[in-house]
Amino acid sequence: MTLGPGTEVEAALESAASTRRSGRGAVRWLSTRLAGLLFVLWAAATLTFFAIRLIPGDPAQAILGGPGSQASAAALAQARAEYGLDQPLILQYLGQLGRYVTGDFGTSYSLHESVVQAIGQQLGGTLVLAVASLAVAWVLALAVAVFSVRAGRAAWAVGNGLEIVSAAVPHFWLATVLILLFSSTLGWLPAINVPGPVGLVLPVVTLAVPLAGFLGQVMRESLLNALHSPFVLSARARGESEVGVLVRHALRHAALPAISLSGWAFGSLVSGAVVVETIFARPGIGRTLLRAVQERDVPLVSGIVLVVALAYCLVTVASEVLDRVADPRLAESPR
Amino acid sequence: MPVRPVIRSTIIAFATAGALALSLAACTPQSSTGAGSSDSPVRGGTLTYASGDAEPTCLDPHVGGNYPQALVATQYLEELVSKNTKGQIIPWLATKWTESKDGLSWDFTLRDGVKFTDGTPLDAAAVKANVAHIQDPATGSSTGYLALGKVASTEIVSPRVIRFTLSQPDSALLESLTQPWLAIESPAALKRSKDVNCAHPVGTGPFIVKQWKKQDSITLVRNAGYTSPPADAAHHGPAYLSKIVWRFIPDSATRYAALKAGEVDVIDNAQPDTIVAAHKTKSLTELNAPRPGASNRIELNSGKAPFNDEKVREAFIRAADVNDGIKTLFFGTAKRSYSALSSVEPLGYSEPGLFGYEPKKANELLDAAGYTTRDADGYRTKDGTRLTVVFPVSTNQSIPAEQSLFEQIQATTKKVGFDVKLEPMDLSSWYAALAKNDYDAVSAPYTKVGPDVLRILYDSASITPAPSGYFANLAQVDIPSLDATLEKAAQVSDVAERSALYETAQKTILEGYYILPLYDQQNHYLLRNDVVGLRALPSVSTPLFYDTWLDR
Repeated sequence: MTLGPGTEVEAALESAASTRRSGRGAVRWLSTRLAGLLFVLWAAATLTFFAIRLIPGDPAQAILGGPGSQASAAALAQARAEYGLDQPLILQYLGQLGRYVTGDFGTSYSLHESVVQAIGQQLGGTLVLAVASLAVAWVLALAVAVFSVRAGRAAWAVGNGLEIVSAAVPHFWLATVLILLFSSTLGWLPAINVPGPVGLVLPVVTLAVPLAGFLGQVMRESLLNALHSPFVLSARARGESEVGVLVRHALRHAALPAISLSGWAFGSLVSGAVVVETIFARPGIGRTLLRAVQERDVPLVSGIVLVVALAYCLVTVASEVLDRVADPRLAESPR
Repeated sequence: MPVRPVIRSTIIAFATAGALALSLAACTPQSSTGAGSSDSPVRGGTLTYASGDAEPTCLDPHVGGNYPQALVATQYLEELVSKNTKGQIIPWLATKWTESKDGLSWDFTLRDGVKFTDGTPLDAAAVKANVAHIQDPATGSSTGYLALGKVASTEIVSPRVIRFTLSQPDSALLESLTQPWLAIESPAALKRSKDVNCAHPVGTGPFIVKQWKKQDSITLVRNAGYTSPPADAAHHGPAYLSKIVWRFIPDSATRYAALKAGEVDVIDNAQPDTIVAAHKTKSLTELNAPRPGASNRIELNSGKAPFNDEKVREAFIRAADVNDGIKTLFFGTAKRSYSALSSVEPLGYSEPGLFGYEPKKANELLDAAGYTTRDADGYRTKDGTRLTVVFPVSTNQSIPAEQSLFEQIQATTKKVGFDVKLEPMDLSSWYAALAKNDYDAVSAPYTKVGPDVLRILYDSASITPAPSGYFANLAQVDIPSLDATLEKAAQVSDVAERSALYETAQKTILEGYYILPLYDQQNHYLLRNDVVGLRALPSVSTPLFYDTWLDR
């Protein structure tokens, strides 16, 4: 195959057109994502509102000291009027949506403070926990994947078994076992939240292990495919070292499905945080959410669900962007 | 050891209440610790307390009024009167009190020279402001509001004397006033907004609320100007501890692991398995302080079928093997109760003979009640209707061991043909189920000082739901003579007459098979051995850290 001058021009033209196409594509891609985001937030707010109002329980009691309060008629009437609970449900719902549009997330019934303030105090703890867990899960998954791919058939079986078992382990069980082992028996690590990173170890391991199981499964599969693909063969033929092949070529491919999964993973981490924060007595929105649901604290539950939905969407979009960086072919293909 | 004996005497006091507590005291390793190495209390130090109760939503126990609030408020708020281990009312913020002949007017003389921690003096005007605060609907008080139900007005007789005028004589008034939900707070502080007062209530107590980090901890610091310990305190002047960190650790295993590792010094809500484990651990001590008021009991809804028939109620009680369940599930940490009242209530009346496990008799009773046929699943039926018992279980209130006990009761009553449907649910759903009368059996704790709790739980007026849907008479006992007895008992001040009336009332409730008593409302604290001088206040059994010091 020879390259004539004509083909070079054609190639340049083709390239310019593709840049324009991808520029337009990016705008369209972004606006689709934004519309999706708004839809998700609306749906989350709506489902939460009706779900928590349809299960038994009276939010007015949350305002007056929790379920089972023996509040007087006057106190109840006052609380219902103050929080608009005496209006028809649909009006309460529309009112809440309207306030959301203006950025007013209301006041928590049970905490006696604004929802923004309540979430603001608790969000940091959960974010640290989730991000650290995601990072540790990635490292664990990668380590097992590389080990099991490189070290033969037995290692493959071991890696596979490890991943399946850890993916199936429930958080509450793992947390209890870790506390019994590392706090009660060995006394190495604190069972409760203490200042500094040492208090983070057991909660992070609890969240990271099951997640690493899931991530490891997809990573190992695609790592294996990558190692058997022609571009790895040609890299080896060029004299690239085994480490070089792994780091520069194969891992990038292995990472792709795991990056896509990270959006989902973040969501699962937040739900895991409900359990982990409760067991390890850590402040965070997971623990706040559990309590808010039990007390039928509608504004607080809605606020937390919105924050989680937003975070989930943002992480998903971010992982799609990362996908595109790791695999430029995606930017070309219509989405 | 001037302070150490306080713990022991508390434990011994409870031991007299039951052989079980005696056995606990026997295995409690406290006497073998080096706690007495220094004879005089050590000043200073930080104690970390871990509560398994829910974090309060408001630190002012006037608002709402539940046990988690009482636990922490005991450290920074004080009441007009208290109760000693013999059940007698003793002075606290009030030094003396007099009741008028007709029982409609009470004068309380306040302690001199007491100041709230914001500098406001404790005087009659302050007490008046507190009563007004509790009775104001905007406060949203429920426990305190009920307790002051008969208080029609208050009057400042002199700066140090406050008069309560009642609508009816109230023999329970003093007992009610010992409760933390009726604590006296700074009137200046009560004038602030509800949110501010919820976060930083101001009292006269030995500690001051310094900081509340939600979902994490409340920091309490010593009140250096403290002058008002209750009459049964072990010392005078400020508390020994300089700081208390009050943490919330909902998971029982975590709480115990943290105690064992020394990350916390005291835990509450110790579960049977951890109590047994603690008895085997040299560094830990148990403090068993059952809550006052009602015992933990299963209420049988006599307001509708099948339990509107006394024979069916008795059959259920005879068919339930409670003792074996308690033995295997609570490992000897809970003693069977045969009373409607807690064992710490001096007027509690027990009738063990009514509650024996007699499945044969249960079968006869059910035959007599008309449940003569059995369906394909082996459950009894009458006119084609299965003998079903809907039993909503609050997973917030019933500990795992208690939920398992209910399962055992389900299994043993099944043998005679009861179909018990246990329905675990969260607290809000549980209250909603009760409000809709969707239950045949239920277990609901009720903490209150004194036998007047019987009037709340078994007066027919308590069948009518409050505006919130709440009602206390879950057995739906509706007996005019019982109402009259309880009403009278709540008014007479003669000790012997009052005692006789409450015995009559309890006999009616027990012998009518309205309730199946299980055990006292469990309230076990575990502490490290170097925590010296901790006692539970005999009022509602909350721990008081005023006399406590750290021997380290």
